[in-house]
Amino acid sequence: MGEAWIYTDSASDAEPAGELTRLLAELGFAPRKVAANGSLRPEGDGGAPARPPDLALVLGDPALCARLEGDEDMGDVPLVVAVGADELEHGGAVHEGHELIVLPLRPGELRARIARARLRLKGVADDDAVRVGSLEINLATYQVSVGGRPIDFTYMEYELLKFLATHPGRVFSREALLSRVWGFDYYGGARTVDVHVRRVRAKLGTEHAGRIKTVRSVGYRFDGEER
Amino acid sequence: MGPRDAYVLRTVEERGVRFVRLWFVDVLGILKSLAIPVSELEPALEEGVGLDGSAMEGAARVRERDVIAYPDPGTFGLLPWRDQQVGRMFCTVRRPDGEPYAADSRSALTRVLGAAADLGWTAQVGAEIEFFLFADDPESELPRPLDDGAYFDLTPLDEGSDFRRRTIDHLEQMGIPVKASHHEVAPSQHEIQLTHTDALSMADAITTFRLAVKEVASELGVFATFMPKPLEHHAGSGMHLHLSLFEGERNAFHDPGRDEPLSPAGRHFLAGVLAHAGELTLLTNQWVNSYKRLRTGFEAPSHVLWTRTGGAGLVRVPSSRPERERGTRIELRSPDPGANPYLSLALVLAAGLRGIERGYQLAPEEEAPSGTARRLPSDLREATDLFEASELARDTLGDTLVDLVVRNKRAEWDTYQSTVSAWELQRFLRLL
Repeated sequence: MGEAWIYTDSASDAEPAGELTRLLAELGFAPRKVAANGSLRPEGDGGAPARPPDLALVLGDPALCARLEGDEDMGDVPLVVAVGADELEHGGAVHEGHELIVLPLRPGELRARIARARLRLKGVADDDAVRVGSLEINLATYQVSVGGRPIDFTYMEYELLKFLATHPGRVFSREALLSRVWGFDYYGGARTVDVHVRRVRAKLGTEHAGRIKTVRSVGYRFDGEER
Repeated sequence: MGPRDAYVLRTVEERGVRFVRLWFVDVLGILKSLAIPVSELEPALEEGVGLDGSAMEGAARVRERDVIAYPDPGTFGLLPWRDQQVGRMFCTVRRPDGEPYAADSRSALTRVLGAAADLGWTAQVGAEIEFFLFADDPESELPRPLDDGAYFDLTPLDEGSDFRRRTIDHLEQMGIPVKASHHEVAPSQHEIQLTHTDALSMADAITTFRLAVKEVASELGVFATFMPKPLEHHAGSGMHLHLSLFEGERNAFHDPGRDEPLSPAGRHFLAGVLAHAGELTLLTNQWVNSYKRLRTGFEAPSHVLWTRTGGAGLVRVPSSRPERERGTRIELRSPDPGANPYLSLALVLAAGLRGIERGYQLAPEEEAPSGTARRLPSDLREATDLFEASELARDTLGDTLVDLVVRNKRAEWDTYQSTVSAWELQRFLRLL
């Protein structure tokens, strides 16, 4: 599993934020605290905004959730919002976020809520695998198989398939795929995306090749399981 | 440890890989390999692997030099002809102080691509690679073809079709997509076209391709050669390169508005390639034998000119489907499959980019060479002279690399010149 960003207002949430960091690390995430009043995406390598994480948690500030959900890059990150029981009593309904937990934290509930959010948004199951019919993408081991038969992907082919499969139903332009999958420091240009899509389709075979749809004059979209 | 390294380490573990080969090429493009056990993989990814850099200097190596090979995890793949127990990665080679090693062809190409990217250009390259299959018969002094098949033949004579199918399977598995394959004009000659991709991936693909073809041939009990002209009375083997530049998602060679095969940028690029054609021929045609292909017709180019139809032109500008933006490109017809793909692409692209940068003007199309048409160098010595004196080559590749290549090629020419050939004996032994 990848990074989990915890949005906190450090003054008031020190205790639950510390607890949350510990629990997320136990679940296999790399937790990172992000100041709730700053930029939505902290700095990554080389000063550019970091790539979006696998999970975001917001402590006690549902309004921030709305900003995250409306953000182009953060909008599809599974989002769990944690609010205190008191706030819930006095503040009324919380509609933001993909899952809601009520403080104080209970480890079992946290795990279950995160699993629900990831499965619903990304199609990622509890064991860190994405399954679509006979296609399985194991995010923990970087291995892809169809009907149990392993398929050899190069690193970039794997990353492209993983990205598309964990954003089912969304259309991405070539430029967007280039910046989110390849990142900076790459000389291949936008045509590279087409080259890789063709290779990934060929390797997936007839049963699954059609899941990566070409959306004319826009880009590509992955069709997951009908749910 | 980054995600690329993690991907390699987990894949090696999951797939039961025991050895990983670290690949690099010498200045002549000959593949070199250093095998490490998987237990050494993590330190190799983190700190690189030390080796003697003189191994990359070709036949002209002088003394040992300590260099460090850094595997590129993005190029990790399993070798499909090895029961999937062996992985490979291409390496970038650096000096101990971290600077790129001057004799590293891959770094030279990366430098050119980086400079192009800074100007907003990315290059796309496709390749048509020809080669021969011969009977593996140590008794026979002359190469023995396997068939009498001809261009696009599909007959029982074409023993190569099983071969081509197997090769294509291997290549696809390693992430090298194949566009087409067919029997070529000479007996036992084959062509496989690699789908266009970025220039560095293409150079890696050509290097992998040459090994894959030889491996499959040996599985089938024959041997494959990329020698440019193995049969005196038949066509030689070429490696036509299809080149285009992209600006973002737009093909910069495409000009939808006018009745021209190329945009202004495309015309300047082509003018650059033609202007520097003489200087770069040493890299695209780097062996004594290369010039026997270029001088003997069979559609191999001899003159520096461009056409839309092919013929004997150095460059063809395909115009069959002008409405397809992506397909707009130039086809350089001189390179042969014995070239170092990294250095060839580096210098050809640098020539084209210089044409754009300095606004070179393109000469008119010529169907056939006129009296004034420039010739390509007629032998290795002439090509070496032109390359050695080339300011473009020195700007692009650096003096060290240029001088290394020149030293190798002068040595080859001297050995060749001192050889008494069968032709000389036949002609002169009794006569004189």
